[in-house]
Amino acid sequence: MRFPKPLLLAAAAVAAVSMLAGCSASGGSPDKLKFVNDKSWDFKAFSKVSQDQIDMGLDASTYADQDAFVAFVKQSLRTGKAPALFTWHTGGQLEELVDQGLVAETSSIWKEEIAKGDVAESVKDLYTIDGKQYCTPISVDNWVMYYDKAAYAEYGLQVPTTWQQLMDNAEVLKSHGIAPFWSSGGNPWAFVWFQIILAGSDLQLYKDLAAGKASYTDPGVVDAMNVWLDMEKKGFFSDPGSKTAPETQMKDGKLAMIPFGTWYASTISQVLKEGDDWGAFPIPSITDQGSTPVAIETAPVCATVKSSQKADALKYSQWWMSAKAQTAWSKQQGNLPFNPKSTASTQTFRDIGKEFAEPDKYDFYLRYYEATPTPILTAALDQFTGFMTNPGDPEPYLKGIEQVAKKYWADH
Amino acid sequence: MTSKSSTDYQRGAWAFLGPGAALVVIVLYLPVIYTLVLSFTRYGGLADPVFVGGANYVEMFADPAFLGSLVNTAIWVVGTLIIPVGIGLLIAYLSFGLRWAGILRIPFLIPYALSGVAVGVLFGFVLQNGGALSQALAFFGLPGSDTRWLQESPLNTVVMILAASWQGIGVNALLFTVGLQSIPKEPLEAARIDGASGFTLFRTMVWPLLRPSTTIVVGLSIVNSLKTFDIVQAMTQGGPNRVSETLGVTMYKDTFVNSDYGLGSAVAIFLSVITVAASVIYLRRQLSIGNGSDAGRITAEVSS
Repeated sequence: MRFPKPLLLAAAAVAAVSMLAGCSASGGSPDKLKFVNDKSWDFKAFSKVSQDQIDMGLDASTYADQDAFVAFVKQSLRTGKAPALFTWHTGGQLEELVDQGLVAETSSIWKEEIAKGDVAESVKDLYTIDGKQYCTPISVDNWVMYYDKAAYAEYGLQVPTTWQQLMDNAEVLKSHGIAPFWSSGGNPWAFVWFQIILAGSDLQLYKDLAAGKASYTDPGVVDAMNVWLDMEKKGFFSDPGSKTAPETQMKDGKLAMIPFGTWYASTISQVLKEGDDWGAFPIPSITDQGSTPVAIETAPVCATVKSSQKADALKYSQWWMSAKAQTAWSKQQGNLPFNPKSTASTQTFRDIGKEFAEPDKYDFYLRYYEATPTPILTAALDQFTGFMTNPGDPEPYLKGIEQVAKKYWADH
Repeated sequence: MTSKSSTDYQRGAWAFLGPGAALVVIVLYLPVIYTLVLSFTRYGGLADPVFVGGANYVEMFADPAFLGSLVNTAIWVVGTLIIPVGIGLLIAYLSFGLRWAGILRIPFLIPYALSGVAVGVLFGFVLQNGGALSQALAFFGLPGSDTRWLQESPLNTVVMILAASWQGIGVNALLFTVGLQSIPKEPLEAARIDGASGFTLFRTMVWPLLRPSTTIVVGLSIVNSLKTFDIVQAMTQGGPNRVSETLGVTMYKDTFVNSDYGLGSAVAIFLSVITVAASVIYLRRQLSIGNGSDAGRITAEVSS
């Protein structure tokens, strides 16, 4: 059988074109900014707000899997397929991208926004790398303890202001068969109690550890782990292997307290009512450190260098910091807005916001997840999970982290 | 046919072959070569890869997580040979020739329609602490309701093998049934007349005649268990503290979670080498014992 040449050429051309078509990504709508994120927040609703206010919207795609998200961002940022905007983390993870020149500088935006009084100078520090700013905040969240008001009322408990009161409350709850505190293994939440206990015991040591100036086998770190171990042995924690969401455990009356950032309000409010069912209080310090350490984290939105929508992306980033946008964001998310001209949408956070604004009473520090370089963080999350699963002598776990930390700091 | 038209025909054939061949080269061979190259570099996914020689391989064999993963993978290979293959054979043999055999085998086959991830998610809920199994054991007052099925090593690997077996038994039974059907009746009848029955009949007659099927089932089982990934990723993510990882999960974790593409690639190359080596050694051995003329057919089926 013979084929005429034009037919052959046509067949080859069709095959080639269909292969290329398979490779090219779908473009999304032209007037919307391509936005990839790892947050379960309702960006579609927020996109409508921005569409009304500045005539720009978000074409958001959310990754449910953290690992897949990180791998996607790292792979796409070097190519023309880079999204206009993406969510990320501050600290070492942002530095990694900035070192490669993949994230657009935002120094001029920060200058304007601070001059307008839209954001505190201290927040800028979280976004500063080598004197320049990158990315802008979607939110800045303080870590608080969410508690079950029903359980507190039933057993006559008061909101604690000291660590001892917190432990006493835990004893009472435990004796009534309620897990006092939420705890979870794996990535990302295995660090939570290490952070609370170490910073609560010795904030300077926490900071030194994050900066590589202290070792994970230091006596102070071992002491903090032993405080954790003691709480584990008393049965103060929920099952770290449970796949049931903390708010569901609280709703079922099995769990009384959950330490999280103020962003968690939008999640917990899906099953429990703010003010009636749940409240929040600052987590007390373990030792007297003058002021109470409070972990903060911030959710940055970053504009990419390679995207064709870079200019619009930066405009959008700046708008997101404005009082109007932050008020809308807080209304949607139920969180604490960082813009002082915006108001929190719930009474609980208006009170917490006022409390945290008291001068010299609180000392804000960067959350462990951002403060710790990635390779050390992943090793630590594994080791902490091991420790929670089989609570015992903390030293082997700390040695496991120190091994990675030592290697990392030798090269950095 | 003239030699001229034959050449034209072959040229024409290349136009049709070209795209397919290009696709195979682009999506199959180039990534393998790229992985091999990456395994000799330090690469974090962002900056350009830096050549480090065999450092990743040295690091890999010194990494306790990798060694644990190697042991778990060995448990998976042995476990899936004993349970899904062994029980699959048992079901096929016991049900063979029964009147309602087809209906009897259906419940074993249905789970095969699920994806590995679905099985993982399902058993994750059943086996989590305080999950369905623990609740059922507690309800009936049976011991073991406090057992942390997915958190103790090597228990978590064993229960994951059982979960995978729940899915895999049916298809093995099916393959063995087909094998049993293809055994000629005459030698079996002759053996029966000579007085063989029960286990003796199975051991001396059925088992040797079933060799072509066994070769395929065992070969597939070895390859599949070496590359176990989905069910572990869905149930424990290799945790807690990396104790239930298999080589597939270690490869994924090193590469995409720890952003150590070089080390992850080294694990990938190691995994590929042992998978290919195990298949080749096993098939060579089996085929040299069996009928040589079957060689091409079986290799083709296993590799497909």
